[in-house]
Amino acid sequence: MSYFKYVALAYGVFFVVMAWDFIIPRLQLRQQLRAARHRLARAQRADAAPAGNGELDR
Amino acid sequence: MRQLPYPSTSNRMFKALAGWFHKLGSPPYFDAFAARWSPWCYLASLPLFALGLWQALAVVPADYQQGDSFRILYIHVPTAWMSLFVFGLMAFYSAIALVWRIKLCEILAMACAPIGAAFTLVTLLTGSIWGKPMWGTWWDWDPRLTTELILLFLYLGVMGLYGAIDDRRAAARAAGLLAIVGVVLLPVIRYSVVWWNSLHQGQTIRLFGESSMDSSMVLPLWLMVFATKFWFAGSLLARARADNLRREAGKAWVRERLEGAR
Repeated sequence: MSYFKYVALAYGVFFVVMAWDFIIPRLQLRQQLRAARHRLARAQRADAAPAGNGELDR
Repeated sequence: MRQLPYPSTSNRMFKALAGWFHKLGSPPYFDAFAARWSPWCYLASLPLFALGLWQALAVVPADYQQGDSFRILYIHVPTAWMSLFVFGLMAFYSAIALVWRIKLCEILAMACAPIGAAFTLVTLLTGSIWGKPMWGTWWDWDPRLTTELILLFLYLGVMGLYGAIDDRRAAARAAGLLAIVGVVLLPVIRYSVVWWNSLHQGQTIRLFGESSMDSSMVLPLWLMVFATKFWFAGSLLARARADNLRREAGKAWVRERLEGAR
């Protein structure tokens, strides 16, 4: 009896789950770094904006 | 008055090690450490995986009873061991975090959960696939299988609890407590094949003492065991780094690091 399909299926499951385990932390890291970059850009824009005299424009 | 003895080499080494651990607890230092070592851990696992899989699939002879289906063992057993090891480590980090309130240990404990869940899932699925040709069924409510399934639920419980509470520190403490309580399951899983009549085979591989597995079949198993260990270290550092960045968002060191990277 050939067990090829069982062995292939088991190793396939292993590779898929390991690939998921490899990709997810990378996506999480990228997401956190992007959020931090946006936060930094916002802070730099706020610093660069000229300070008003306190009166509202009409 | 007595003069203090000159510190011995082991004393100085201990102090240096304690100092390094203390430094590692600092979020910016850990970020740099994880960014540096995570890829190396993954890289170290790759040749071990390649060699182990080649040996497991092409070199090792088929089993005289189970034929080629026994080759599933080379992923089933290392991932099963990892599922227990990672849970124990998660509980260990959680205990340190609860007692000494070390933030990094909370992060590391919570980063263990999804990796351990992945190893447990692989264990259950590969065991089920192996069981079909050998036992004639995909699943049986056997003590070993059932306790391993409860372990998966515990992992999912820890992850769910950590995600359900907004305050990250309170969430880590609650989930860590669940991890510590869940440790009682580990010896139950380990000895389930001894304590109860089980469809699952008993212990065939021993760290200390003689294994009932033929020596020609053992090498790929150890290669896969070390490969999964290195893989786990890489994944743990990467996940912990992401969580560390999320918790430290808006802090000056994150801004400085981003500005430095430009």
